[in-house]
Amino acid sequence: MMERTESACFHCGEPVPDGVSLFVLRDGQQKPVCCSGCQAVAELIFSSGLGRYYQFRQDLGRKAEEDLEKDIEAWRGCDDRQSLWGAELADGKRDLLLQTEGIRCAACAWLIRSHVENKPGVDSVQVDTATGYTRIIWRPDDNHLSGLAAALMELGYKPHLPLASAEEQGRQEERRNSMKRLGVAGLGMMQVMMYAVGLYAGDAFGIAVAERSFLEWVSLMVTLPVLIYSGRIFFEGAFRSLKAGSPGMDVPVALAISLAFIASCYNFFTGKGEVWFDSVVMFIFFLSLGRHIEMMLRHRNLQAGAALARLLPEWAERLTDDGRETIPASDLADGDRVLVRAGESFPADGALDSGATEVDEALLTGESRPVARGAGDLVIAGTINLSQPVEMTVTASGQETTVSALGRLLLLAQSRRPSSNVMPVWLVPVFIVAVLVIAGGTWLGWQLVDPGRAFAAMLSVLVASCPCALSLALPVVYAAASRRLLDEGILLTRGEALPALTQTDTVIFDKTGTLTSGQPEVVAIQINPQRPEISEQRALRIAAALEIASAHPIAGAFRWDGAENGTGANKPLVAEKITIHSASGVSGLIAGAAWKIGKAGFVPNPSAAATDNDDSIWLADDQGWVARFELQDSLRPDAEFTIQQLKRQGLELAVLSGDSRKAVDRVADRLQISDRAARQTPEMKLARLEELRNSGKHVLMVGDGVNDAPVLAAADVSMTVKGGAELANSAADMILTSESLELVNKAIHAARRTRELVRQNLTWAVMYNASVMPLAVSGMLKPWMAALGMSLSSLLVVANASRLVKRNTENPAL
Amino acid sequence: MNMLYVLIPLALMLLAVAVWALVWAIRSGQFDDLESHGWSVVLDDDQKPPPHPDDDKEEEKK
Repeated sequence: MMERTESACFHCGEPVPDGVSLFVLRDGQQKPVCCSGCQAVAELIFSSGLGRYYQFRQDLGRKAEEDLEKDIEAWRGCDDRQSLWGAELADGKRDLLLQTEGIRCAACAWLIRSHVENKPGVDSVQVDTATGYTRIIWRPDDNHLSGLAAALMELGYKPHLPLASAEEQGRQEERRNSMKRLGVAGLGMMQVMMYAVGLYAGDAFGIAVAERSFLEWVSLMVTLPVLIYSGRIFFEGAFRSLKAGSPGMDVPVALAISLAFIASCYNFFTGKGEVWFDSVVMFIFFLSLGRHIEMMLRHRNLQAGAALARLLPEWAERLTDDGRETIPASDLADGDRVLVRAGESFPADGALDSGATEVDEALLTGESRPVARGAGDLVIAGTINLSQPVEMTVTASGQETTVSALGRLLLLAQSRRPSSNVMPVWLVPVFIVAVLVIAGGTWLGWQLVDPGRAFAAMLSVLVASCPCALSLALPVVYAAASRRLLDEGILLTRGEALPALTQTDTVIFDKTGTLTSGQPEVVAIQINPQRPEISEQRALRIAAALEIASAHPIAGAFRWDGAENGTGANKPLVAEKITIHSASGVSGLIAGAAWKIGKAGFVPNPSAAATDNDDSIWLADDQGWVARFELQDSLRPDAEFTIQQLKRQGLELAVLSGDSRKAVDRVADRLQISDRAARQTPEMKLARLEELRNSGKHVLMVGDGVNDAPVLAAADVSMTVKGGAELANSAADMILTSESLELVNKAIHAARRTRELVRQNLTWAVMYNASVMPLAVSGMLKPWMAALGMSLSSLLVVANASRLVKRNTENPAL
Repeated sequence: MNMLYVLIPLALMLLAVAVWALVWAIRSGQFDDLESHGWSVVLDDDQKPPPHPDDDKEEEKK
């Protein structure tokens, strides 16, 4: 089930980095964990007696944050406004809905319930594993919002205040209403079917007239409320589409239901002829069931969309008189000043105060080329600051930002029925008119031959023609596919990527952060012998100060952890006028002196050493090089396996990297990828991609960095791996949400499987409708058979699609 | 066959009760999460979290 190697973290399953030896005690055994965050979570789970979580979970935990205190601190900022979120209940309790990242299976739900319900002030906790929402009923007198958030974070989950809780409430209402309609129709159907058995038996063996009409009368009494309550949506849908001038699928459905009902009533009251109450309720029930399943799939699908619609960063760094504070971005007020680092998104609309930077506004304009923005220029929340840390003054925040409006529009668009690609929009009315004409023709034809059967035959045509299966065939498969991908840890952001993925024949990988884990560490420091006044410690501190604003993976190696050396003398240095030179390095001023840090080509250095050790990072001031840092970046644990699998499928593989020849060779040799290129600028990568595409290849690009964004946007299909730059994520079709490269393989499998299912569904739906129509016209198909056949056909399509949602572990055939 | 005139109305009354019960259950959110509650049978029983000193209400609720 769960693959966990010896060196994998006990909690989250990620590889334990070299040099980390943290453990938790379980049943007297030392289990390795990857970081202090996961250790704290696992220890808390065991010490609260919730250790069974590990036994029953179906999926590994989310990698825990190491620095909880910072997040909790940010949440505390919301405490005095906690009444803004959630609803007030009776006796002062509150109902809070938190979107919770990391909920993966029922064991998570149990863990959260057991832990959070024990917190003071918490009345009850409900976790929806399908949608990732946690609902907490709590008493504000005994706890705070931050206390609730902290309880979730302690377990390694990440709560978010829902941006669109009103929409989610609306969707929940929609789900409940649909369930009520379905339940009423189902109960009604059971009753009416039971009476129908009596009536059919009466036809065969004889029945008293009084009893017959009593059974028919009871059937009518049960059918009527079902028709009014559960069937209403079809009438409303038909009415809406007629009013809009383009009759939709609901029209023949509503017509069939109402004709069958009215004719049955007429026959009942005149006392002659058949009644079709059983067909009416059965038709309503199965149609409601199909709609319900489709809606559930769509709603689950929306969660992925909702997660992605969170384009705004959660927190903002507000500049105050005493320094900086981290507050929720939604709490920014007009006139606040905010620091935005390079690689981060702007938390609000506003004007730049200082600095000059490049901004990616692809989000709004679709233009992937960065735009230069200087002091006084307006920036839009959600766009990405590319090159320089800048300060801005907020002019609009939270729900008022341009992008929030855009997000609402997006959600609205998504919540519409997934458009059926099978039938072009103009064809639908044509189809409906054709059905009505055939139905009318059938009635006329039978009038000439045998008037007694004319009505039943027409009814059968109306019911049999319903192309429900056809119109469901594509949307349900895509909805199910994106759900399946989400289960695997892949967020699908563009539906069309799935068909494109099945055609892929070439995969291009970025190296740093994609094939490798992208978290380099300083393994050795060499100080220039002519500059002995600089200690290793000091060199590191300078490097940390320079790299603080950079989002490049290399910068992570230089994070200065001031807490480790708690003495005042070791306070982090502050660099000014930091400039990030894309793909080469960073320069800035520290205490008035100019410093540079970066690759060999960017920083002056002794050339002999440079050729020797190409991928070192050099630190220099204006008098020359000061220190050389040797960094190492390890291959992702499952990279070799994944590459082999991809090769076995006959895919061509290539590595394009901005890194040095030596570093690229080291990785490509181990993975046995011969097509490789080092020292690639984004332009060169793009050119290579164009070249491949011009030669007729379909390219999948897997990357993670800011420099990959243009290539990601240009490739046929693109994926980013976990921890990728936000810019890269926004350009990608799929985002891999766990650190496993194997997901690339799984995504390709899922896409192929999807294509197969779409074909099956379409074939079935077209065949069914085509073959059943002549039967209906010829009167061989009774209305109840048509209703059953149509409904079963739709259900088959939905059931076929839902085969995708099943997990690999349960169904090895997938 | 006269029993029909008694039994069917009785069945209809039961139907009304069933519909009411279903609607009540849906309204109170019992169908919102169909996955995790099945697990609580396996998970909850033998290992109880150690009772919090300030959390005696837990017992009253159950």
